Amino acid sequence: MSGTPAAGARPSGSPRSEGAPATAAMRGAATRGPALWGPALAIARRELLSAFGVGAGWVVVALFLLPCGVVFTVGTFRNGEPASMRAVFEAAAWILLFVAPAISMRTLSDELRLGTFETLTTAPVGDGSIVLGKFIAALVTLAAMLAPTLVLAAGLEAHGRPDWGELACGYFGLLLAGALYLAAGILASTFSASQLVAYLLAFFFWLTVALCCRLLPTIASAGWADFLYAADPLRRLRDFTIGLLDTANVVYFVVLTAFFLAASTASLRARRSA
Amino acid sequence: MLETHGLTRRFGALVAVDDLSVSLPSGGVTGFLGPNGAGKTTTIRMIAGALRPTSGRVVIEGIDAASDPAEARRRIGYLPESTPLHPELRVDEFLAFRGRLHGLHGPGLRRALDSAIARCSLTDARRRLIGVLSKGFRQRVGLAAALLHDPPVLILDEPTSGLDPSQIQEFRALLRQLAERHTVLLSSHVLAEIEAVCNQIVMISGGRLVARGSLDELRARAGTANRITLEIEGDPVEVLRGLVEVEAIRPLGRVDSWHRSEIAGGDEGRLRTAIAQRCLERRVPLRELSPRPLSLEELFLALTTESVTRGGGR
Repeated sequence: MSGTPAAGARPSGSPRSEGAPATAAMRGAATRGPALWGPALAIARRELLSAFGVGAGWVVVALFLLPCGVVFTVGTFRNGEPASMRAVFEAAAWILLFVAPAISMRTLSDELRLGTFETLTTAPVGDGSIVLGKFIAALVTLAAMLAPTLVLAAGLEAHGRPDWGELACGYFGLLLAGALYLAAGILASTFSASQLVAYLLAFFFWLTVALCCRLLPTIASAGWADFLYAADPLRRLRDFTIGLLDTANVVYFVVLTAFFLAASTASLRARRSA
Repeated sequence: MLETHGLTRRFGALVAVDDLSVSLPSGGVTGFLGPNGAGKTTTIRMIAGALRPTSGRVVIEGIDAASDPAEARRRIGYLPESTPLHPELRVDEFLAFRGRLHGLHGPGLRRALDSAIARCSLTDARRRLIGVLSKGFRQRVGLAAALLHDPPVLILDEPTSGLDPSQIQEFRALLRQLAERHTVLLSSHVLAEIEAVCNQIVMISGGRLVARGSLDELRARAGTANRITLEIEGDPVEVLRGLVEVEAIRPLGRVDSWHRSEIAGGDEGRLRTAIAQRCLERRVPLRELSPRPLSLEELFLALTTESVTRGGGR
């Protein structure tokens, strides 16, 4: 290791000015650093670099696109079929149940496994920033996953007249539903250093919710049946896929996403006290 | 300056750190010593902000870590024992990420990056993937990340584990240089390292402070400054019989008729004078009569054993 520190620019006369590598201005910059968004964006940037740098992110994107392409070719892109992406969106709603946990599973589990969580928590970064950064990165991955399906929509445009309002609504719904699945997946990843455990927790949670909301109303009381109907994320997502933008559905996804992000933050905070 | 006041951490019924109060003055290297399970890592994690104390306070450069954790953490550079890094990133990508976490950006980040890379001799490795680096280089990356934001306090947990002897020498030289500008808390199991670079030692056992001070102060505290090594031709027990200054004689070995032993007594100067006079009186050939300060290992054992005997350890 070098015994020669780089020339610094500490004010002369300071007892630590000799060979100071980082200037007082730099330390000042550090002090003025944004409290929430700056570290969150730094974390998101690092997450994306890690995910797409080693190819794991591309694999997830490919795994999502493959069945979407099949559904589009078989169910939509045929003579006589309406120029709509409904079939793709409905399939994507189910595929997201599998794929979203694959995106979120590494967010904190990997940090816990590598031990980098320790250095993250000893940086001047709040638990909220950590969760927000992970969420932003996961959401960007989701968007990168959905973006290539626009090629399918362009194919419809070339051969028909799709309703772009309906398409936009469908994409918006997928983003909202994906955000909810990802937020829950991030919470799952705060519980374990194992990515597999994080994946299984998130996947089976949403699978159970989806099945309960569809099967239990047949045996539940009217009150419970109404509750389960209202709680069904897939039913709410279906409204988006048919071009129905209902504020109640937007509020449902946003509030639940915020809840899971807050729970993830609380879970990280509890780790410091554990 | 780094201070802890009544720092306590419980894990259920286990008290890992118990009412630990220490103060590290600005500058210099403080060695943090203790047997396995003494609470060193728990203490370090509390100081670094990774673990919340059950009670007590950590104050860094006058900032209470509980009331303003972000500001306190800005003043700390922390290198954990396992040197956790992101293997899929390149060295400069990882360091830039760590810099951004500390609010560095733009030209300030670039300057800090160049400086940390130069100080830790990573210039040739800055575009290499961390995952393919050797253990020594990974340690350097971890240290560069800890230095990046120029923190006044550096906490290094077993920083030389896995390094080869020449890397250890280089690291010690760097550490001495860092001590001119930073307050360094160095936890290490390698006592020779502590002895070589630390000007102060904090020793804990069973989660409690056992001793604190310079090596010489600790030797005096352990009552081990008054030991001498004696080599005479003849049985030292017979020769020194009746000398009131001599408290104990411990044989160290024998070659032919020469007996080598360790003598413990009261004042070291008077002890040596008395022994020299006795050898002259009895015309006993003498070829060594020298002070024998305890090594840090012996001192460590003496102080931690003393602590356990007093009921200080668990």
